[in-house]
Amino acid sequence: MSVKYIPVQWNNNKWKYNAVMLASVFAYLWIFIFVTPDLMSNEGRINGAVHNARAFGSCAFLMLSVILCIGPLARLDNRFLPLLYNRRHFGVMTAFVAITHASYIINWYFAFSPSNKYEALLFSNTSYGQLSGFPFEVFGIFALFCLVILAATSHDFWLKFLTPRIWKRIHYLIYAAYISVVAHVGLGILQDQQNHTFTVIFILAAIVVATLHVMAALHEKKHGDPLAAESGDWVKVCETTDMQEGYAKIAQLTAKERVAIFLHEGKLSAISNACAHQNGPLGEGKIIRCLVTCPWHGFQYDVTNGSSPAPFTEKVPTYNLKVEGNTILVDRHANEPGTYVEPVPLNIQGAAA
Amino acid sequence: MIEKKPPFFVGYLGIPKALKGFLLKLSLLIFAGFIAGAVLAGATQDDPGQAGFRFDYGRQTVTGVLETTPYPLLYVTEGNERIKEGRTMMLSGQGKTPIMANLPKLEGKQVKVSGIILKRGELDMLQVAGGNRGIEDLSREGQIPSSEPLGRWELQGEICDGKCLAGAMNPGRGLAHKACANLCLLADIPPVFVSSNPVQGEEFLLVAGPDGGPFPRELYHYVGQFLELEANLERRGDLLVLIVDPDHIKAIK
Repeated sequence: MSVKYIPVQWNNNKWKYNAVMLASVFAYLWIFIFVTPDLMSNEGRINGAVHNARAFGSCAFLMLSVILCIGPLARLDNRFLPLLYNRRHFGVMTAFVAITHASYIINWYFAFSPSNKYEALLFSNTSYGQLSGFPFEVFGIFALFCLVILAATSHDFWLKFLTPRIWKRIHYLIYAAYISVVAHVGLGILQDQQNHTFTVIFILAAIVVATLHVMAALHEKKHGDPLAAESGDWVKVCETTDMQEGYAKIAQLTAKERVAIFLHEGKLSAISNACAHQNGPLGEGKIIRCLVTCPWHGFQYDVTNGSSPAPFTEKVPTYNLKVEGNTILVDRHANEPGTYVEPVPLNIQGAAA
Repeated sequence: MIEKKPPFFVGYLGIPKALKGFLLKLSLLIFAGFIAGAVLAGATQDDPGQAGFRFDYGRQTVTGVLETTPYPLLYVTEGNERIKEGRTMMLSGQGKTPIMANLPKLEGKQVKVSGIILKRGELDMLQVAGGNRGIEDLSREGQIPSSEPLGRWELQGEICDGKCLAGAMNPGRGLAHKACANLCLLADIPPVFVSSNPVQGEEFLLVAGPDGGPFPRELYHYVGQFLELEANLERRGDLLVLIVDPDHIKAIK
């Protein structure tokens, strides 16, 4: 959280996160570039530029696969949420690795010619009407543009400027980029491989990414937030015995709207489940120092009015609620973001401390 | 029923004790995964074969008769230790620089050519020094050897650009290299058919268009693909030339 924009709000965990990811990327590149040539028993030597292009290209693919695994893993198991925390930095690293791959390719295969190398990239192969020999470079170009757009708009300034809704939609480009990379590799280097080790790695990575997404979707379907029971303006969310001090129960009001009911110091309050930062699930967060804390990036809100503590300015809508017997009901009509709602005392014998 | 809540991570606070072990193992797993990926992907790349520029031979200068159709060829009349008399050398400019522009006027003339050899097995090519400056007009008429028809052949193989194939790039063939190969062909670099089976004892055949001229651009779609074709073959000097027939060429993979 911040009241002004600074390039990066560093903290210990971000340093550690980046250290692990950078160490992994540097280890990959160093081993691929400097160690593996001596491990090969080839008769001929692959050109340095081609070898380096392959190192950076395969590394970018691996990084992109890891990035796409983080979301579903965090949905399946909360322990993976720390990976989500600084995922944007890893995404920016991926864009730089991909740009380096593209630079090696363009400055090798499309250089040494009187033609402009960027134009040559586009005109030298125009076999768009066939699968074998298709200009797979276009998929790489598209993926690179996506990654650059994502990296360039990754800062919170753009999130606020574009609004979380539009920002998130733009950032779904990551899926288009991944599919495009799969096509780029599948129609390119994989067509020529005699040794299929990389093919196996590539297919396994793509299968893991796809499988985790399917598993997360099924998990969401099975264990997702229940649809609040209809009853006019007031909808039933859960029983008082379901509540746990410091935590929330989430209910789906409409296809796009979810409410999170928190129990704090024996009283119930309801706020929107969507964090104002990146639509993170506030109801999966926890109350820390009297403030609802988002599990994604730690944005905080006063549970009674949905406002971030001063000097922060983020606000989320609140909801009126009531308890009838053991049932907690919430008014389906959200209050304006930042509206104070008097917390409702909970019949204390029903709640767990 | 009250569920047990997992440890809660907040980025700007300390890591919960219960998560520390898990995150340490996860970090090591990610690190190990990247290392394993690098070793597996890096060390199992295909062998591009022994090929490349023979800078170790030094600049070669030989004399011969120039022919420019379908591509620049030199019939060597005065060779040296590396390029013997009687050889037919394919010529290329530096990089992907075309050299044909000033060559037609030298058709059938004696020239002195200077350049660097590229070599892959029996395939070799001379990269002419400094573009046309590497070709000196000796102002003497020469005799282009007459071509010897070798009949019609059914062959399987791949059309590549002869220069990358000869070692300008390693690897220098295949579909991943197709765009580069096309760009080379646009620069007058002789295309070469790599036959799956030897033809008259040769694996590499210069490719010409159906009219005996350059390989036509409309057939560039076939470059890099594994092909089955039926074509006329002829010998020029010690070089085999395949005259492709657009009606009898198809990709088979």
